Amino acid sequence: MDDFFFSLVLAGISVGAVYALVALGLNLTFWTTRALNFGQGSLMMLCAMLTVHLAAQGLALLLAVLGALFIIGGLGIFIERFAVRPALKGAGSMGWVVSTLGFGIFLQGVAAKWFGAQAVAFPDILFSAQDYVSVFGQYVSLQYLVVLLVAVALILLLELFVRKTVWGQAVHAVSLDPELAGVQGIPVRRIILGSFIASSLLAGVAGLLIAQIGGTVDPAFGFDLVLLGFVAAVFGGMGSSVGALVGGLVVGLTSKLVGGYISTAAEHAIAFALLMAMLALRPQGLFGRIEVSKA
Amino acid sequence: MLEVEGLSVSYGAVQALTDVSLSAAAGSTTAVLGANGAGKSSLLRAISGIAPIGAGCIRLDGQDVTRLSPQARARHGLAHAMEGRRLFRQMNVEENLRLAWSFGARSTPWAAALEDVYARFPILAQKSRIASGLLSGGQQQMVILSCTTIRSPRVLLLDEPSLGLAPLIVRQIYAFIAGFARDSGATVVIAEQMASIALQVADRGCALRRGRVALTGTATELLRGGLAATYL
Ligand SMILES: Nc1ncnc2c1ncn2[C@@H]1O[C@H](COP(=O)(O)OP(=O)(O)OP(=O)(O)O)[C@@H](O)[C@H]1O
Ligand SMILES: [Mg+2]
Repeated sequence: MDDFFFSLVLAGISVGAVYALVALGLNLTFWTTRALNFGQGSLMMLCAMLTVHLAAQGLALLLAVLGALFIIGGLGIFIERFAVRPALKGAGSMGWVVSTLGFGIFLQGVAAKWFGAQAVAFPDILFSAQDYVSVFGQYVSLQYLVVLLVAVALILLLELFVRKTVWGQAVHAVSLDPELAGVQGIPVRRIILGSFIASSLLAGVAGLLIAQIGGTVDPAFGFDLVLLGFVAAVFGGMGSSVGALVGGLVVGLTSKLVGGYISTAAEHAIAFALLMAMLALRPQGLFGRIEVSKA
Repeated sequence: MLEVEGLSVSYGAVQALTDVSLSAAAGSTTAVLGANGAGKSSLLRAISGIAPIGAGCIRLDGQDVTRLSPQARARHGLAHAMEGRRLFRQMNVEENLRLAWSFGARSTPWAAALEDVYARFPILAQKSRIASGLLSGGQQQMVILSCTTIRSPRVLLLDEPSLGLAPLIVRQIYAFIAGFARDSGATVVIAEQMASIALQVADRGCALRRGRVALTGTATELLRGGLAATYL
């Protein structure tokens, strides 16, 4: 196999895995509220920035990561309470698009003010960029492998949780009919809050993974990632975990291949072209379900 | 035991209930009667915590729950079969039952509770893996009722359980309700337009007219008083 092609495929799969994580995070809040948290991009950035800065204060790297994730989870609560809940008051309101995006931009500004607008180096968490294993006679960066494994593992865990546990079923119930869920004693508010915390944590993890690959992080980082994660989610079928994974990988691979062989300028454009083609051919996405109903 | 005192409900400019009071003892069945738009569903929804309460209070077994969320009330032993055949349509029959049981009182183990449902409605055992939204109206009503009773409620609210069903199924459903009321010792409240059916299983009745209590009495009094002609 040609080395250039192989390196593009690898890069595509690993960024695709990150898009899949972002898509999964978008799915989580979509399940419970039909709202998407577009502030995810800034949470990715902030999680990586906070990790760098906590580590710079002399904290052990693992503690810095946990501390950053803790803060990001807290911001998830804040977003649900102040950006999404008020926006969902009116039935069918789409105010959350603006409020979550706006909160993301606000976080970006805060990060630039506190940490400066320059890119900072991101430390090696598990492996350094020099760690390789050999697969099919090709060198594969361990960092890329870790990204892929973490993404696949999280997606499998989430699927197991939703399909096999009572709480997973309760999440499904909240997505289908929150009023009925409440009347049946399901703690709707807590489940919604939980979905925002989990989605923020997913964004945080995705941010750490991508910062790890890129090696640096700056306040502007994360913005196009959330857009591409959104493309992946819609492509795979909004709300489907398998769809998030497949969508993420397809978007990651095509954009890297197009970027490598045609032009890097077309990298993101091709993702949106994919999105439009999917919307025209199959609006519910690859794995999207059409609702079962009978009046 | 359910007590409602001076309850008012309004949706913006529409006043659905005005100063409604009602008391239903444990082990009794109460029929809430009234024409379309009289406020029956609003009353049940206010008791469940899903209609906007303007004034008044609601007590379950003596405890004031007026300010509690629907899920907190449900945990106090309230169950509500809502208007409009509400169930989780994409989930199959057993998943609906399992979810209802999981967040209920769990006084019977799951296997026994499920077996009991299937013994009462054998057709549901055959349909257990089918998406509940695809069942017939009568079968859906059986699932909905079973979802409320499987939670072992102390107060059970039923909103027009007979609506749109064939007479034979209506009889089966009402026999089930009467059996549950007799065996469980729960407080049962049934909202119905068809006064004659509901008063057959009820001990007491309460007729609403334009959001106010127009008449209350025992079922026999109401049946004898020609209530249908005057109020419905
Ligand atoms: N969500 C709502 N928003 C606005 N008005 C409402 C709402 N729900 C009910 N109403 C109004 O409140 C009044 C009482 O309605 P309710 O549904 O309680 O009556 P009902 O006795 O259950 O009638 P039916 O037998 O037709 O079910 C009606 O005038 C209705 O239009
Ligand atoms: Mg009604």
